[in-house]
Amino acid sequence: MKLNIEGLLVYFPYDYIYPEQYSYMLELKRTLDAKGHGVLEMPSGTGKTISLLSLIVAYQRAFPLEVTKLIYCSRTVPEIEKVVEELRKLMEFYSKETGETNNFLALALSSRKNLCIHPEILHANIVVYSYHYLLDPKIADLVSKELAKKSVVVFDEAHNIDNVCIDSMSVNITRRTLDRCQNNVDTLQNTIQKIKETDAAKLREEYRRLVDGLKEASVARETDIYLSNPVLPDEILQEAVPGTIRTAEHFVGFLRRFLEYLKSRLRVQHVVQESTPQFLKDIFDKVCIDRKPLRFCAERLQSLLRTLEIADIADFSAVTLISNFATLVSTYSQGFTIIIEPFEDRTPTIANPVLHFSCMDPSIAIKPVFQRFQSVVITSGTLSPLDIYPRILDFRPVTMASFTMTLARTCLCPLIVGRGNDQVALSSKFETREDFAVIRNYGNLLLEMSAVVPDGIVAFFTSYVYMENIVASWYEQGILENIQRNKLIFIETQDAAETSMALEKYQEACENGRGAILLSVARGKVSEGIDFVHHFGRAVIMFGVPYVYTQSRILKARLEYLRDQFQIRENDFLTFDAMRHAAQCVGRAIRGKTDYGLMIFADKRYARADKRGKLPRWIQEHITDGSLNLTVDETVQLSKHFLRQMAQPFRQEDQLGLSLLTLEQLQSEEMLKKITQIAHQT
Amino acid sequence: MASLSEEVLLVVKKVRQRKQDGTLYLMAERIAWGPEGKDRFTVSHLYADIRCQKISPDGKSKIQLQLVLHTGESTTFHFANESSALKDRDAAKELLQQLLPKFKKKANKELEEKNRMLQEDPVLFQLYKDLVVSQVISAEEFWANRLGGINNTDPGLCDNKQEVGISGAFLADIRPQTDGCNGLRYNLTADIIESIFRTYPAVKQKYSENVPHNLTEKEFWTRFFQSHYFHRDRINTGTQDIFSECAKQDDKGLKSMVSQGVKNPLVDLLSLEDKTLDEVRFNWTDSNRTVKDSSNSAIIKRFNHHSAMVLAAGSRKGDTQVDQASETSSTDGNSRDSDFFQPPVRLQEAIEYEDLQRENGPKTVALNLKKADRYAHGPVPLQSQQYTTSQDIINSVNYIQHEMANYKPNLTQVLSSTSASSAIAALSPGGVLMQAGAQQAINQMVPPEVQGELKHLYAAAGELLRHFWACFPVNTPFLEEKLTGHLEEMLQTAYSKFHIWQTRRMMRKT
Repeated sequence: MKLNIEGLLVYFPYDYIYPEQYSYMLELKRTLDAKGHGVLEMPSGTGKTISLLSLIVAYQRAFPLEVTKLIYCSRTVPEIEKVVEELRKLMEFYSKETGETNNFLALALSSRKNLCIHPEILHANIVVYSYHYLLDPKIADLVSKELAKKSVVVFDEAHNIDNVCIDSMSVNITRRTLDRCQNNVDTLQNTIQKIKETDAAKLREEYRRLVDGLKEASVARETDIYLSNPVLPDEILQEAVPGTIRTAEHFVGFLRRFLEYLKSRLRVQHVVQESTPQFLKDIFDKVCIDRKPLRFCAERLQSLLRTLEIADIADFSAVTLISNFATLVSTYSQGFTIIIEPFEDRTPTIANPVLHFSCMDPSIAIKPVFQRFQSVVITSGTLSPLDIYPRILDFRPVTMASFTMTLARTCLCPLIVGRGNDQVALSSKFETREDFAVIRNYGNLLLEMSAVVPDGIVAFFTSYVYMENIVASWYEQGILENIQRNKLIFIETQDAAETSMALEKYQEACENGRGAILLSVARGKVSEGIDFVHHFGRAVIMFGVPYVYTQSRILKARLEYLRDQFQIRENDFLTFDAMRHAAQCVGRAIRGKTDYGLMIFADKRYARADKRGKLPRWIQEHITDGSLNLTVDETVQLSKHFLRQMAQPFRQEDQLGLSLLTLEQLQSEEMLKKITQIAHQT
Repeated sequence: MASLSEEVLLVVKKVRQRKQDGTLYLMAERIAWGPEGKDRFTVSHLYADIRCQKISPDGKSKIQLQLVLHTGESTTFHFANESSALKDRDAAKELLQQLLPKFKKKANKELEEKNRMLQEDPVLFQLYKDLVVSQVISAEEFWANRLGGINNTDPGLCDNKQEVGISGAFLADIRPQTDGCNGLRYNLTADIIESIFRTYPAVKQKYSENVPHNLTEKEFWTRFFQSHYFHRDRINTGTQDIFSECAKQDDKGLKSMVSQGVKNPLVDLLSLEDKTLDEVRFNWTDSNRTVKDSSNSAIIKRFNHHSAMVLAAGSRKGDTQVDQASETSSTDGNSRDSDFFQPPVRLQEAIEYEDLQRENGPKTVALNLKKADRYAHGPVPLQSQQYTTSQDIINSVNYIQHEMANYKPNLTQVLSSTSASSAIAALSPGGVLMQAGAQQAINQMVPPEVQGELKHLYAAAGELLRHFWACFPVNTPFLEEKLTGHLEEMLQTAYSKFHIWQTRRMMRKT
């Protein structure tokens, strides 16, 4: 259908539309009009992607000078492929309606399989790729730095964007890394030696260039051609490469010294935590390495690798990592911490020293994106509470909205199970984690549910260790055997290939009618990337509140930083983080309005307002006061009732006019008034 | 010889049949046996008539081969040549094994079909016994208008009998019980053994290797339950354990299952993330390191393997056939079906919103519920003829509450003690007013076997009546003959059968 979104003609490739899609497009258009950034939370399964694409493509066609490009970032390869598929559908609709073959060029980048052709990117109207291509400085510099300023950037499934930012800026150095780096440096030296004998002019040319300084980059940045690289801070551009590392041999020698220093740092017996200035002081005291050459390390290495014409950069990943670390550590005095651990907490007898150079400030990695592009839209099914994202990513959005899901029938049923049938309080909190009664009651809940829920049930635990212990305990108590009478059991393991196999078998068992249970882990790969549509997930059970492992030093440092820099209290952040993961887990089951599923929160702490209030609005509004502290039996009764109702035929007519609109219905005054209530502004 | 034109494939001498020495001939289309010194066959079966062959188990003193015919008859040959009896028998068996399947297809379809129908339909079988076996009507007539239905239906459809899968919890059903003197008793049924074999082909292989040469069946299972293999939290099994190999095979099977990867890209966690080359390399080595072997993770692995095997066994076909020779056991847990299994969530479908499009799928008939709440609350047994709605109940509860609230005891006008006790008697079980409770349903008063017999007679009479009415309109001489001739006779027979039964029941009662 053709829509009129505040004067903009939007081609929408379906015969009907959900009211929230219309509302979403309205908000999106306002964001683009204002040339600002937006945070939009839209329930999963309400056609967020197609709404986004339809509106932005229409906008690009209407105002080709205002918006030249759409950069669509998503997280996983299947998601990227889905976006491309939806885009194809939209384009087909365009050519059918307008009769002209469109000249839109869309490009999808994903690793290895379809290698990127760099110049293409510059001409494409739409680029679809993974977050890393924009946020990871190593890749962004290669792929994205020349993208036009008048682009709209969309981060889909962005609920974890802060962690992606942090990961892309953090570096972990182990002994293995250093050994490999040593090999790299040796190879470099040999290559330099060889070139010196055959083609000394090349090295001289490089030297001359370095004396002139990095003028090119400087010019480019001033004229605003490039996306700035956080690893390449502005100051570097003003200066020439310092003399100490200007010749190739000197630079290799410098790298060796730096490497030896790092090796000596890894020979620690106890945990060390220090700030970047402390680290710089130490390195100066011990091996007389100055701050300045360190800062040029990354750029100097790139130049050398180019000069030596090394084709396979992947082989030099270790030395690249180390030189990036050198540049970052000498550039940022804030937002980073260095933690050296001689062994893992769980295995104190095995020496496995790791140097964590960890970023605590997600805004560092994403800052260039917000600065450069005129509109950046952060969107996901679960972004609650909305206001925390602008705070931790340090930007000012022009629109922030959370949309509800209009439903003709309540197809989701969130229930909070707080007690067992024996009135034992259910919780995964640390004090009662080993409690036999809690574990037994959790088992009982799963057993009872396995008898009433058809097809597939997915259960999430707070951590892998916790799941292992519970499974072992259930096995000893014979609970798993009893569950097997109803359904087959598949369990996520730490091996991705094994888990994929289990997942496929799980789907096969759901498909052939036998029914199955998948035991999985929040924050794991399954909870983040796999959808359980329709009968693949009729119930999701969340055992416990998935708090992150709080004893980690990296996390402690980050919490401290958040408190000092952003005035976010530790508990607020931890709860926010736990609840977004819980919401992700339970949201896996609902993938559309014709889908239905139970969302069972098995922990009494979910009933508290501070937890419940952080769930997305579209889940929260279906939690009734009566379902805040249920026993297992009550849960089973409510589930039975819900499932029987949902099993009734659900036709399009049932939805029409309520949660599904024709063009005429959409244009009615009354409906437009209703639609304004869907978006909840904050 | 009877027919010289026939090609003789195998001649076995010194074969006894009914304690008579003779020679067994296997020919192109039939198997025959002639007593020694005579020039004719006393036994001759077309291969097409043979349903299957059976052999005496190894270790028995008599080495025999039995042929079971479609008619249910059987012929047993005893191989009596002392030096080469076993070899002779095996040669005959092998040849038959090759020949029989060729003729199976040619075998009388109709007969098989009848057989199958009788086996699958107990009611029909009873009817057959009542009418045909007791010679009320002839077999042809019995089948006359049933086979019409057979020929019409697609035989492929009928043949596709659904196989029974395996319960995921079959191991849980073997609950050990203490026998009172420091021992455990495991109860095994044939079904459980079958389940174990189907799920774990490795165990089956062990069984056929060791039983009965090395171990008795009982010993085998005792060891099975003692072995760590059965206890799934095992970490390493002793080398002397005969099942340690099974554990290894299982691990191998699991590994091969994993290494085969998944067909559905949407569940492939390995290709989920878009990573650069070096990241992949880093993580690959790292993830290998972190997987540690603990008993807990062994349990988890076992569960995944067990479920996969159960799933595969359920969709594996043909394993249960009597024909052991053709069986191939797959140990990797990948059912042959799984090649055809196409997960429906492909990319295209994953992005479709079916409700946003105009409906174009096949129209389905919606379930029209007259009483939705009855559906939602499950079946409730009807106590009386009248169905009380929940509204009625609420009303009466309200009414009673109202009554009770306004109740004032009027002590001057109470019942006399006699009428009170008579009222109590009337309201006690067996009293006048409790007839509903005392009244027993007819199906509880008559013993079940009598009910069964009566049902059979009723069904038989019904079948005869069906034949009777099927003769109308009488438009062929055949029908007329049938009607006036033996059908009347048949009804008479049926009636007298009923009468006999009736008098017999009366006799027994008195």
